Amino acid sequence: MASPDMDHPEGPQIVADPLKVPNLAFGAMAEIKPFRAHPNHQEPLGFPGELVGNWKEVAIEKIGELANTNRAFRVYLDACVKCGACTDKCHYFLGTGDPKNMPVARQDLLRSVYRRYFTFAGKYFPKLVGARELTKEVLEEWYTYYHQCSQCRRCSVFCPYGIDTAEISMAAREILDTVGMGQKYCNEIIGKVKVIGNNLGLQEKALRATLEDLEEDLEDETGVSVRIPLDEKSADILLVTPSADFFAEPHIDGLLGYAKVFHQAGVSWTVSSYASEAANFGLFIGSQDNMKALCQRIRHAAEDLGVKRIIFGECGHAWRVAYNFLDTLAGPFDFLDPNYPVPQHILEFTLDQIERGNLRFDKSKNDHIRLTYHDSCNVARASRMGDKPGGQFEVPRAVLRAVCNNFFDMDRDTTHESTFCCGGGGGLLTDELMDLRTKGANPRMTALQRVTEDHGVTHMAAICAICKTQFSKVMPQFGYEMDSVVSVHQLVSNAILLDGQEIDGDDRVPEVADAGVT
Amino acid sequence: MAYQVNGATIEHDEEGYILTLSDWSKELADVIAETEEIDMNEEHWEVVNFLREYYEEYQIAPAVRVLIKSIKKSLGPEKGNNKYMYELFPYGPAKQACKIAGLPKPTGCV
Amino acid sequence: MLSALYAGLFYLSASILVFGVVLRMAIYARTPAPLKIAQTPAPTTRIGVFWRMLREVVFFQSLFKSNKWIWVFGWTFHMGLLLVLLRHLRYFTNPVWFWVEWIQPVGLYASFALVIGLLGLWSRRLLVERIRYISSPSDHLMLALLFGIAVSGMAMKFVARVDIVAVKVYFLGLLRFKILDLPPDPILLVHLGLVFVLMFIFPISKLLHGPGVFFSPSRNQVDNPREQRYAPRTPAN
Repeated sequence: MASPDMDHPEGPQIVADPLKVPNLAFGAMAEIKPFRAHPNHQEPLGFPGELVGNWKEVAIEKIGELANTNRAFRVYLDACVKCGACTDKCHYFLGTGDPKNMPVARQDLLRSVYRRYFTFAGKYFPKLVGARELTKEVLEEWYTYYHQCSQCRRCSVFCPYGIDTAEISMAAREILDTVGMGQKYCNEIIGKVKVIGNNLGLQEKALRATLEDLEEDLEDETGVSVRIPLDEKSADILLVTPSADFFAEPHIDGLLGYAKVFHQAGVSWTVSSYASEAANFGLFIGSQDNMKALCQRIRHAAEDLGVKRIIFGECGHAWRVAYNFLDTLAGPFDFLDPNYPVPQHILEFTLDQIERGNLRFDKSKNDHIRLTYHDSCNVARASRMGDKPGGQFEVPRAVLRAVCNNFFDMDRDTTHESTFCCGGGGGLLTDELMDLRTKGANPRMTALQRVTEDHGVTHMAAICAICKTQFSKVMPQFGYEMDSVVSVHQLVSNAILLDGQEIDGDDRVPEVADAGVT
Repeated sequence: MAYQVNGATIEHDEEGYILTLSDWSKELADVIAETEEIDMNEEHWEVVNFLREYYEEYQIAPAVRVLIKSIKKSLGPEKGNNKYMYELFPYGPAKQACKIAGLPKPTGCV
Repeated sequence: MLSALYAGLFYLSASILVFGVVLRMAIYARTPAPLKIAQTPAPTTRIGVFWRMLREVVFFQSLFKSNKWIWVFGWTFHMGLLLVLLRHLRYFTNPVWFWVEWIQPVGLYASFALVIGLLGLWSRRLLVERIRYISSPSDHLMLALLFGIAVSGMAMKFVARVDIVAVKVYFLGLLRFKILDLPPDPILLVHLGLVFVLMFIFPISKLLHGPGVFFSPSRNQVDNPREQRYAPRTPAN
């Protein structure tokens, strides 16, 4: 197997330690911040278009409101003892060395203001406890560093109190939105979902044309008519998947994989043009109202189409929102078939079909790949698959092992609940943050280089639209091809044998079991 | 933030995407391409023209795969592939080619 | 006069400690947790969550995973503190409970563990640049306060013994709202004074991590949103 290092003539790479702690680089990332939302991005979300005149009062009032309505926010701000356990756990800190990217320091940007206005010690002894006034500079600093957090929760795993910087970062972004300082990337996208139904702005006509085009591709490839139905009433299953699955590479290959699995399983399913998006960026900006509005589109589509089940495609934070919040924000889903969990993950569906013996694979179709798997942060630390804790780690790996002969895990310190974020999560997948994204990807890429060194790994599978896009952009800078990141269902798609499928010219798939066992 | 074309001022956003789609012209495309350090040749124009046609019909840029399929038909399989697209537009056919074609930037996890 | 002053401080600081902490816990309990944010993999049952919290509170499981040095010093300090506090129950019980009697010698050694843990944590705060960066003056003062309490306490045992029988009589008196004579030993007065300060600031400081840990939604929530609809009461404004 060709190692990616071969493309680097400067000699053998010295593969570093993905957990190596950098020296502090004060202010290294102080100038990196995303574009601000324009009034036309802010207003449809219910936020003021520009910085409001009384921003200080509004922001402080919002902090008070959050402290009274969100237990996590209050407890996390109160409980931190500055023990330092989290200081070397953030991929952005490891990649940049900027001390304000240490989780506790990031929290302190807001905690210091909370203390000043809401605690006895902070009101009367601000210097002693590191409390500070809210100023415009503080707002700018929040805008900068709360947009250098991908809300991946890695720090919270290592905190003795489970303090989750993601919660603080979401709250900070909500405060910023409330005073009129929104982020363009997230807010423009949420606006599009509210009007059109997906992040891309893909309208029904375009979606239909794309899916028909893909059906053609599938038939060309397999000789079997595999459908990707759109807005089909009374289908059993509504598939809600990130719109990147209709648009980007390698996402589309994942979609083709879902279609083949559904086809072979013999179930009826459909995509909805009204709820053509699994992603829910309302999470990233900490806005429960916006998150709810997006969740309700999915409920509406499910009711409208009369489906019995809802299945989510490969998307990390979407699965977090779907698994944890969908029922709370848009439930109860008592009109669905109670024999299935609401919602289900596509990987749960596929693994179940594999275990029932309904799917057959030719694993050798993936023999050109030596594979590892990237646990997406939101799936790993904020959701579950299957019945048991940790199913979110086992289910994807079980599917991968069923379709691929050469699978190797990365260092245990960088997978499962200790996985690193891809560097582009949490609403940071925008071009103006490319420098941050590349540096933040460094720990994951270093861990990948190790398995490349040790096992000749060539490809990395992911189950998140953000991870896939982020890796396809940054991997070339670490000695890999942009298509070295693959969808899990892309590998399923490569290996699956559909009934009647053409193989090598005129041959058809034979009716023998376990064609993939070699 | 604006491009200057034949004495006209055409506004664009922070990333160089024009704000009013009807402002687009071939001359403007050349100007944008220049700022992107792309020397427009026939293949570039093939892509840009396809993007504009597709946009006119669907109000969105095509999926990369759809674009590549079309280019494969018009320019042959050695050019109708992802790698060649990135040779033409190093920052990605979806984003950079859209900018030159005067289309809005595709948003989302792409 | 001195006895009365210390009695006053004792009642005041004890009230502030108890009411402050109860109030805080009431606020935490009253503040809604609008969404499921369990940090997974998480237990899928209440009993599972009980064991998870127990492992966190008794063994500092997550801290152990995170950083062995902080764990060693932090755990040593906290366990030492616990034993020392239990040992001090003999000043407030008559007759002394059998198990308090039983841990007296252990508690003695525990005071050394407590001090070693404290010094370890403090040296990390001073020597490790990342932790120095995140430290406020109050973080150092808190360690200084605990150190002062520990050293003055140990001094009374190992250097200049005080009349602990008289101390016990004094505190048993306070429990019955009677102010008897407190031995005017300077080390004892320093020790008690610092303890009162600690009790004063407990409810308004980061010492709230003690009760706070039980209210952390990422740790105390059951991972069962699909099995049981999570529909918390609407936020009280």
